[in-house]
Amino acid sequence: MERRYGYERVDTCEEAVTLLSEGGMESRLLAGGTDLLVEVHKDGASWDRLIDVSRVAAIRNITEEVGAIIVGAAVTHTEIASSDLIREQLPALAEASASIGSPQIRNRGTVGGNIANAAACADTLPALVCLGAVARIVTPEGETEIGVGDLVTGVNRTTMPAAGIIRDFRIPKPADGTEMAFVKLGRRQAQSISRLSLACMGRLDAEGKVADLRVTPGACTSQTQRFDAAETILLGQTPTEELVQKAGAAAAAQMVEIAGRRWSTAYKEPALTALVERGLRQVLGIAEVK
Amino acid sequence: MQIQFTLNGQATTVDAPADMTLLKMLREELDLTGTKCGCEIGECGACSIILDGEVVNSCLMLAAQVDGREVITIEGIRGEDGGPNDLQEAFIEAGAVQCGFCTPGMIVAATVLLEKHGYPTREQIAEGISGNLCRCTGYQQIIDAVELTARRRAGEEI
Amino acid sequence: MSELKTVGKPTLRMDALEKVLGTARFTHDLKAPGMLVAKVLRSPVPHGEIVKLDVAPALEVPGVVAAITSEDYVDHSNWGFPVKDDYMLAYERVRYVGDPIAAVAAESEEAAQAGIDAIVLEIKELPGVYNVHEALEEDAPLLHPELAASENEETDAEADPQYIEVQAQGNLSETLIVRQGDPVAALEKCEMVVDQHYSVAHQEHAYLETEAALATPTPDGGVIVYLGDQSPFITQSNLTMTLGLPADKVRVVQPKYIGGSFGGKSDNMYETGGQAAMLALRSGRPVKLVLNREESMLGSYKRDAMTMHYRLGADADGTLKAAKIDCWSDSGAYASMTPFTGWRASIHAMGPYRYDACDVDVRGVYTNNGYSGAFRGFGSPEVQAVSEQAVDELAEKCGIDPMDFRLKNCIRLGDTFPYGQKLEESAGLDACLERVRELSDWDKKRAEYAAQPADAEIRRGIGVGCFFHGCSQGAEGADNATHIIRLGANNRFEVISGLTDYGQGSRTVFCLIAAEAMGLPLERFEWIQNDTDVSKDCGPTVASRSTMLGGNATRVAAERLREQIRQTAALLLRCEEDQLTQEDEEFKAPDGNSVTLDDVISYSRTLNIPMSATAYWEMPHIHWSFSEGRGTPYVAYHFGAQVADVEVDTRTGKTKVLQIWAVHDVGRVVFPEGAVGQIIGGIAQGLGYGLLERVDFQEGQLTNPNFDTYLIPTAADMPPVTVEFVEDLLSFGPYGAKNVAEPSMVPTTPAILNGIYQATGERVRHTPANLERVLLGRDLKDSVVTVCRDGICERARCDIG
Repeated sequence: MERRYGYERVDTCEEAVTLLSEGGMESRLLAGGTDLLVEVHKDGASWDRLIDVSRVAAIRNITEEVGAIIVGAAVTHTEIASSDLIREQLPALAEASASIGSPQIRNRGTVGGNIANAAACADTLPALVCLGAVARIVTPEGETEIGVGDLVTGVNRTTMPAAGIIRDFRIPKPADGTEMAFVKLGRRQAQSISRLSLACMGRLDAEGKVADLRVTPGACTSQTQRFDAAETILLGQTPTEELVQKAGAAAAAQMVEIAGRRWSTAYKEPALTALVERGLRQVLGIAEVK
Repeated sequence: MQIQFTLNGQATTVDAPADMTLLKMLREELDLTGTKCGCEIGECGACSIILDGEVVNSCLMLAAQVDGREVITIEGIRGEDGGPNDLQEAFIEAGAVQCGFCTPGMIVAATVLLEKHGYPTREQIAEGISGNLCRCTGYQQIIDAVELTARRRAGEEI
Repeated sequence: MSELKTVGKPTLRMDALEKVLGTARFTHDLKAPGMLVAKVLRSPVPHGEIVKLDVAPALEVPGVVAAITSEDYVDHSNWGFPVKDDYMLAYERVRYVGDPIAAVAAESEEAAQAGIDAIVLEIKELPGVYNVHEALEEDAPLLHPELAASENEETDAEADPQYIEVQAQGNLSETLIVRQGDPVAALEKCEMVVDQHYSVAHQEHAYLETEAALATPTPDGGVIVYLGDQSPFITQSNLTMTLGLPADKVRVVQPKYIGGSFGGKSDNMYETGGQAAMLALRSGRPVKLVLNREESMLGSYKRDAMTMHYRLGADADGTLKAAKIDCWSDSGAYASMTPFTGWRASIHAMGPYRYDACDVDVRGVYTNNGYSGAFRGFGSPEVQAVSEQAVDELAEKCGIDPMDFRLKNCIRLGDTFPYGQKLEESAGLDACLERVRELSDWDKKRAEYAAQPADAEIRRGIGVGCFFHGCSQGAEGADNATHIIRLGANNRFEVISGLTDYGQGSRTVFCLIAAEAMGLPLERFEWIQNDTDVSKDCGPTVASRSTMLGGNATRVAAERLREQIRQTAALLLRCEEDQLTQEDEEFKAPDGNSVTLDDVISYSRTLNIPMSATAYWEMPHIHWSFSEGRGTPYVAYHFGAQVADVEVDTRTGKTKVLQIWAVHDVGRVVFPEGAVGQIIGGIAQGLGYGLLERVDFQEGQLTNPNFDTYLIPTAADMPPVTVEFVEDLLSFGPYGAKNVAEPSMVPTTPAILNGIYQATGERVRHTPANLERVLLGRDLKDSVVTVCRDGICERARCDIG
């Protein structure tokens, strides 16, 4: 029997939190609907009420502060992908959003929804973890901050506080000279669920040694995280093709260490190695092998 | 619940259940059957409509979410005389129509695409309709139709 | 033939306007006052005995008006052709996940679902079998014990060699053969031999409009069913049988617009129509049944998966000598069209080449993997996806360029096919190969890609596929059509066909032919929707037969009607009919007087001359011996060749098709933009078949029942396609036309797979050539693979996990 549900639209985060806190009723937040309404179709509703936050003005902006860029939770992928600010300063995030779904999906899907739903293949997840983004969350008790890497702990699992709503993501501006890349590997040329993805960023110091390096594979391990085994191979070193290849292999090995050997490992090991090699060449300025 | 919105240029009020999708509301409450249902999970684009100038899948929206907004369906895409507009004519001319089931969604997506990119490349057109599946045509003649429209709007004589 | 005026000229599709406006109403869009909504209860398990089924609780649910099972029908709703092994609603057993069991009609969708949920259903699960080879083992679970051959039956093959012997032996449904000489002996003598195993996956039609029916009871106890099926007459015949009604009480009407079929709207549609019809009869109200995408994918038949063992032999100089081909077709739970797809596969399995010796055995095998039936190409894409790879492998062994190898061995005018038929006319394969070679700049690219650096990660390859495809049904059975052209009240001529236009554009093709034959402009013609009360049975709309059969029936009817018009004009002009000249819509007498067509029509009305003509046209009779595997299977063939230029990322297994060139001999092109559209549309399906598409059955469960997990090509996946036609006219085709629709997907898949081979040096012998197969050599979800080592082939279970 199809479970019926109600609908309320709110204009502020506080209203959303109030409704979420209401007892005797299971409420969920609705933004773009591109995950929730698919869930309704496939499994039926698991809630009594949807709270529409897609028009809460306070969470719809992209703003620049000193040292950080703030992206509202209900900003859509289209808005992120076409924002001059994000394309210039956080291109990995712009590319991640641009790679999602189709024009129709991108026009509705939001970054907050992408993270809160925490699908294994959520594309903004590796980008935000790589960038060190922090989710700022409004709860009945006030505001709290959780790093995106700590917020999403597994497939469809988050440490979201009860009755909380993500207000925005605070993304530290990368230091001058940082290069970043986002690569998505899907089965088709468009509308693809990621088979694997990768966000990485790096910066060389004045001597050409790697001063900062972050490697964050996506759709790879149940908790999206930086792969320090790959990073430490190059940190403090002058990047070479040989080291890049070692780092690629180390990333694959770390994946197996974290996730164990699964049925998809035989594919992901070599494919991740290639993605990491290519991402590192790009951000560290090594000529692409043909 | 009551939903008040602008539909194809007209102020419209509909009473619909809170959990009814926009697609269902259009097709069943308003008998606007030009918008089609192909998958209900936002993959095929047959349900595409224009919401405040953007192309979206109406199967992934609740009807309630269009309250206060502007919706255009295929029924609202017309030339000045109420017949086909230049894009629709180009679809006919270029052989872009076979069974016709994906056609309304394609035209909706192409309409928005042409507003975004006045003179799109073929790659941009393909990207703009990448959320609209077609099983009959193989897409090439659809891309031809959109390209033809763009070139004519730019004043080229074809 | 003098210059044609309408056939072959640039033409706009006749029904495009309402489609671009969104005013075209498909079955999904139809409504009737007092309409009920229907839903179907389907089996959640792949194999089981129905221990308990009680729909009475459904009738207690508020809003539910009717609930039915197989018991409501004659003979438990048993039906099926050529094997009567299926049921409109399951009887005693379910044999695949999605097998329909019961149906409910209610005032709302919610109530209908509640009704379905209330049905008491108990199934005792039976062991299932999910692999054709395991299904043939002695202890395999039997899908159809009720069909075991009875001892008393005289072998029908002896009584009539035209009869396909379909008698289940265990799970073996039928074997279709071709025989020529002794290929096993010939292979021993061949210097160059390819001995390989291949497979192709199940493919889903993915028509954008899912199955739907609207059934309305009539006051006289009958029913009208609106259904977008492959033949309203076949539906009518199935419904009269299972509903127990006489034909004059069952009317089937096709909506004017149908959202695609590709062969997929027969069996599942007949059942959908049968379910809606019975609910309408029981409830006394109109009933609409629409399947959602998951129900459509679960419930409907697929293109058969096949495993093949190909042994091809050639001389050192590349002359093909012998072919021994064994195929196993996964028929799934019911026979459906598999006896026929298997037959077509057997004829096409060796490809369009000359052989001294050739044996083909195609075995249809029951399993619990959904069920398989008709899908564009009907057996031909399955085998030629593989034969064209095997030929490429043999060409490589011989050290001969793949294009040269094909030109050396391909069937040409005057040659004899391996099964004994001589190709007497309309044989454009060599012209297609030569032209596509030129268009694609084959030789230059082939050499350039062969020379790319060994360590390049992104690699290019160019591959070719060529094919033949028998036109229409061939020796499957009676092959004829009857068309009517009659004057309508608005002075336009109505073309009435029993064939279906589900988007391929046959209505425009027929009207073009009628216009040509009558010397009138296209605007004078319209097409009437297919309706058993109005049309004549033309057989099913399959095998791309509409242009030849329907086109010829139209032409003959049009010629007769033209006669009537001229005679009436002559009366009006007081001259002899043979003295008239006609120019478009004007008829002139020798004395200079003239009348218009409208004048003639008005005159005919005053004289009560009914302007109408009916014509029957049938294919030339042919003979095929199913028991001997020899004869003339088809009267004519569509030939073609395609080249694909691909780019493979050898570190991720991702293939991008950069460009495709297609040259096809279709005889006369009647409707140019329609023909081009059919070629490119077919290429898209062939690209999907080769790279993306696989219905993923895991222990009988269909695990990818929607478009997020069953991937078909998007606009971004399609490369630019160049299409050209070689018009090698067929003497008895309408204005020389053969057909277009199905075959366009046949060479695409192997052209791409052959291109991948040039790029990577690794053969992908199993479709789809997805990321895993191209990178690793196998798909990680394969449960069984065939491994060939040193000429010994073994099936091995894979580790999944």
